[in-house]
Amino acid sequence: MTVEEQIREIVARITRVDPTIITRESTFKDIKADSLDVVQALVAVEELFEIEIPDEEAQKFQSFGDFVSYVESRVSKAGKV
Amino acid sequence: MSLEGKLALVTGGGRGIGKSIALKLASQGADVIVNFFRHRETAAETAREIEALGVKAETIRANVGDPAKINEMFDTIESKHGRLDILISNAASGVGRPVMEVDTKAWEWTMDINARALLLCTQRAARLMEGRGGKVVGISSLGSHYVLPNYTVVGVSKAALEALTRYLAIELAPQNICINTVAASAVETDALKFYFKEGLANASHYLTPAGRMVTPEDVANVVAFLCSEEAFMIRGQTVIVDGGTSVGLFAAAGKGGE
Repeated sequence: MTVEEQIREIVARITRVDPTIITRESTFKDIKADSLDVVQALVAVEELFEIEIPDEEAQKFQSFGDFVSYVESRVSKAGKV
Repeated sequence: MSLEGKLALVTGGGRGIGKSIALKLASQGADVIVNFFRHRETAAETAREIEALGVKAETIRANVGDPAKINEMFDTIESKHGRLDILISNAASGVGRPVMEVDTKAWEWTMDINARALLLCTQRAARLMEGRGGKVVGISSLGSHYVLPNYTVVGVSKAALEALTRYLAIELAPQNICINTVAASAVETDALKFYFKEGLANASHYLTPAGRMVTPEDVANVVAFLCSEEAFMIRGQTVIVDGGTSVGLFAAAGKGGE
């Protein structure tokens, strides 16, 4: 599974939405993710990829795609995947 | 009030009130384990500040809302140190919503971190305090007794924490473990900024008769006292640190909120 697919699965599980409706362009609002959902998604992604996402970075995410791109850049830098 | 040679664990000790408590205990001679969840670098910086005071410090990651992570954390402490003298159950979280919007997820998340963690951490800590006694301090807020905007879940979790403090204090009294809680009004921390953002707080609610807001150091001073031998006969109490806000509510109303 790609980084994007893994994150999509996490976000879909937490927000209880159908993963197929989550696109790179989806905003957290589109997928009805509230502030707790976002925190839980951050925590799950941090644990899965063994990275830490500073709040200042997370606050910049406008869309699911921003979230994925950030994680992709962190994961590739760490030499994983 | 010396805590020399004591080993303390402060959950959520990397920043805010927890950081002040960690530094205060360290300044009195205690070695400190700083628990953090998401902010490793902040916790590492706090550990460096603690070490600068001439005591030992280490950091340990755990989400105290997760029982398995609490167990892992205590397994590590147990194998590394085999003892614990002081537990400060400070880590907290919350979801700011009006009552009609509180769902089970927000309820469980908040209750697990704010209330259940004190139970689970104390159960594990008590084993490490066996035969030597110990101190446990929880951190609450005025929201346990008073209604604050969008604070329902947190307020209820803090009420549970305070009740739990009483039960723990009595049942663990024979083991010389002193358990109390400190409840503060709004304290100037990053968490408060978050609450402002969530619409939970409004500075005007927190004007205190003492003339200023409560600082993390104000809370840390009382926590450190509760960890001292001088406080040995204080058990199961919630000590309010609010500059007089709670007892002055009616006086403030009488003055027309002046």
